[in-house]
Amino acid sequence: MHYPWWHVPFLTAPMLIAIVAVLHVLVAHYAVGGGLFLAAEATYAYRTHNHRYLDYLRQHAWFFILLTVVYGAITGVGIWWTIGLASPLATESLIHIFVFGWAMEYVFFILEIVSAFIFYYFWGRLPPRTHQAVGWIYAVSAWISLVLITGITGFMLNPGAWPQRQSFWVGFFNPQFLPQVAARTGGAFLLAALYVYLHAAFKVKDPALLRLIEQRSARPALAGSILIVLGGAGWYLFLPASARAALAAASVLNVLVVLLFAITVAVFVMLYLGPYRNPGWLSPGFALLFLGLGLAAVTSGEYVREAVRKPFIVYNVVLGNQILPAELPRLRAAGILQGGVWPRAFVSTHYPHLLREGRVDQEGLLRLPQADQVLLGEALFMHACNNCHASRSGFSALRNLMRGWTPEMVRAVTEHPERVHFFMPPWAGTEAESRLLEQYLRTLVLPSPVELPEPMGGRR
Amino acid sequence: MNPADLAAPPSPLGFPAPYWFLVLLKVAGFTLHMAPMHLWTAGLLVALLLIRRPDAHARLLGERLITQLPVVIALGINFGIVPLLFLQVAYYRVFYPATVLVAWSWFAVIPLLVLAYYGVYLYAGGLRQTRLGRLHRLAGWVAAAAFLAIGFAFANALTLMTRLDAWPDLWRATSRAGAPLGTALNLSDPRLLPRWLMLLALALVTTAAYAVVDAGLFVRGLPAAYRRWVAGFALRLATLGVVGFALFGSWYAFGTWGAEVRQAMLGRLAPLTAATAAAPALPWLLIARQRRGPTPGAALATGLAQFGVLALNATSRQVVQNVELARFLDVAAEPMRTQWSPLVVFLLLLAGGVGVILWMVGRARSTLRPVPH
Repeated sequence: MHYPWWHVPFLTAPMLIAIVAVLHVLVAHYAVGGGLFLAAEATYAYRTHNHRYLDYLRQHAWFFILLTVVYGAITGVGIWWTIGLASPLATESLIHIFVFGWAMEYVFFILEIVSAFIFYYFWGRLPPRTHQAVGWIYAVSAWISLVLITGITGFMLNPGAWPQRQSFWVGFFNPQFLPQVAARTGGAFLLAALYVYLHAAFKVKDPALLRLIEQRSARPALAGSILIVLGGAGWYLFLPASARAALAAASVLNVLVVLLFAITVAVFVMLYLGPYRNPGWLSPGFALLFLGLGLAAVTSGEYVREAVRKPFIVYNVVLGNQILPAELPRLRAAGILQGGVWPRAFVSTHYPHLLREGRVDQEGLLRLPQADQVLLGEALFMHACNNCHASRSGFSALRNLMRGWTPEMVRAVTEHPERVHFFMPPWAGTEAESRLLEQYLRTLVLPSPVELPEPMGGRR
Repeated sequence: MNPADLAAPPSPLGFPAPYWFLVLLKVAGFTLHMAPMHLWTAGLLVALLLIRRPDAHARLLGERLITQLPVVIALGINFGIVPLLFLQVAYYRVFYPATVLVAWSWFAVIPLLVLAYYGVYLYAGGLRQTRLGRLHRLAGWVAAAAFLAIGFAFANALTLMTRLDAWPDLWRATSRAGAPLGTALNLSDPRLLPRWLMLLALALVTTAAYAVVDAGLFVRGLPAAYRRWVAGFALRLATLGVVGFALFGSWYAFGTWGAEVRQAMLGRLAPLTAATAAAPALPWLLIARQRRGPTPGAALATGLAQFGVLALNATSRQVVQNVELARFLDVAAEPMRTQWSPLVVFLLLLAGGVGVILWMVGRARSTLRPVPH
């Protein structure tokens, strides 16, 4: 309630974060794994004096730069951009806690950019040893960037003892840190190999060189698959209780977890039987299928990782609807319309007579005409619910979710949303405000689409 | 409604470092960001126009500017992270509300940047193929337009950040049930156009200085005639930029500054204002002295002088921002909980990182061969 809530019709603002984040991770993992691939393979090619392979790697480095330095870097900044708009309080908190973590990551970003350009643009000009060193500087910098950002994303899911100790390092080395570093490193290895296969399948005409590329990329990809599974298991083990319960309760997440593991295993088997044991399978179609499966696994994983973080946006630090847990008692006593910066401004603009010495007249709220109560209810919906729900249509729209609800059910969800669904944030307003929200929600309710015969008892 | 009531409450977490340190990093980061930013706004436009000219020297300079832009853009984007990061630490109470009010134009920066960056790559790729196709030309102009739009989006959001008194009307006009739709634009702000034009003019001086730096330091083996032509062209461009900076800067300072800002910037801070206003004369003079062609020493001095101009501008901008905000809130008045060990680790990594970068650039520079005529 510290900030204005950006209303994005249909999608909801946080879904923009999801879209930008998914678009980013498709390439971000490759930015890390691809760097390791280029450094390791350039070292190998120099050592074996394999000039054809070096020529291919140079071509691949150009593809890599075009994809990661441009699209990957900008969408990475794009996530930050979007969270500031769609989750300002959470972003404010994270930046206050981890500003120097991001600053450290920035140092490695610059190292990545400079080394990537020098690696590519000075190919053939730098002595081989220097060229390899520059490649490894990129690879190590990119991996450290991954580690640094994972400390922060891991914190969002399980901050460990940070709420008690409030230390940077306690927050950074949170219980999710190692599992997520393992899973992301695995994802980087695996996706990089799949991008290499795609590029090589289209670009390399020499069958012997293609087989070499297949075989050499298969090993890190196989290791990556194992790391993903191990990291995924650790991620599950160190989930907070409500996140684990949310995972079990949401069927779509169940499906996505199964999909994630099934795809990872399928890719592992295909890698083992194909490029690793029987190189020569690689065709453009096979590479496209491979990469498609890899991207499906990564996007499923990212979606699940984000979706279980309920009812918080930053676990135990910021609730999903942009409220600090410590603010709940104050807001419940004073009300959202008085305690929230922008809701209070809404009241002072539209209903100044309800404000007396800075306090909102709670009883007066319920004496307003029906239309005004609905409008205030909608204002409360925006600040308390719209972070997860569209209203009439769109993402998790309440009209769809509340079809056939009775007035008692609507009242129950406005009074104690956390009791109806444990993964919803608790109601932060007063009783009068929950009545206003109820008035608004009742305008959304449609009759049940299912017509069943009256039960026998009903006839009697 | 008191606009100051719309600023967010202070964070219970407090500042992670002293306020002056946060602002120092913000200003230093913004200075670093401004140089590449000027090259992609004004430099790209200048290069696109130069390439259309029949003169071989003009074409060569245009081509050199554009083929270097992909690297310049990558560095500029990354340099931009620092000021934005420390802006969000020190000015979060006004930054987030302002950007939410103009959310769609602010969000548009990301797709526009992707479009602009790939546009530059496409154009630069076309240059390598000896003949520019229609698609390449279109990509170049679309990229230039996208960069101008990005500059506008930044100016729009960041001027709104200090104009809390404009928030209520913008919010009421573009919200639903109290929730902003993010469609507002800060167009009624009298500072918006002169500030944007002033920065565009300053960007011309940066482009001129960079052309001299490029001819004096980065190219080897090009004929003296080319160097002389670059020096002459840079002088004309810098003159245009300095005149524009003076005109639009005067409009901005004397036509749009409020009483508090005028009192501060023309009173006790008058030396800073005077230095900021006069500073572009120094790179202009240095460029003017190189009419026979830039030399490495003079080119380096020109680059450093222009960097100093940018630093003065970033400092003045910060001071003006603080004075504008002082009417509404005291941004520095927050509890401080300095995170010493992460801060030290960051500074050590920064020093190490700069060392590694210098080593890599030094090794790369040692391989540069003279450019064939």
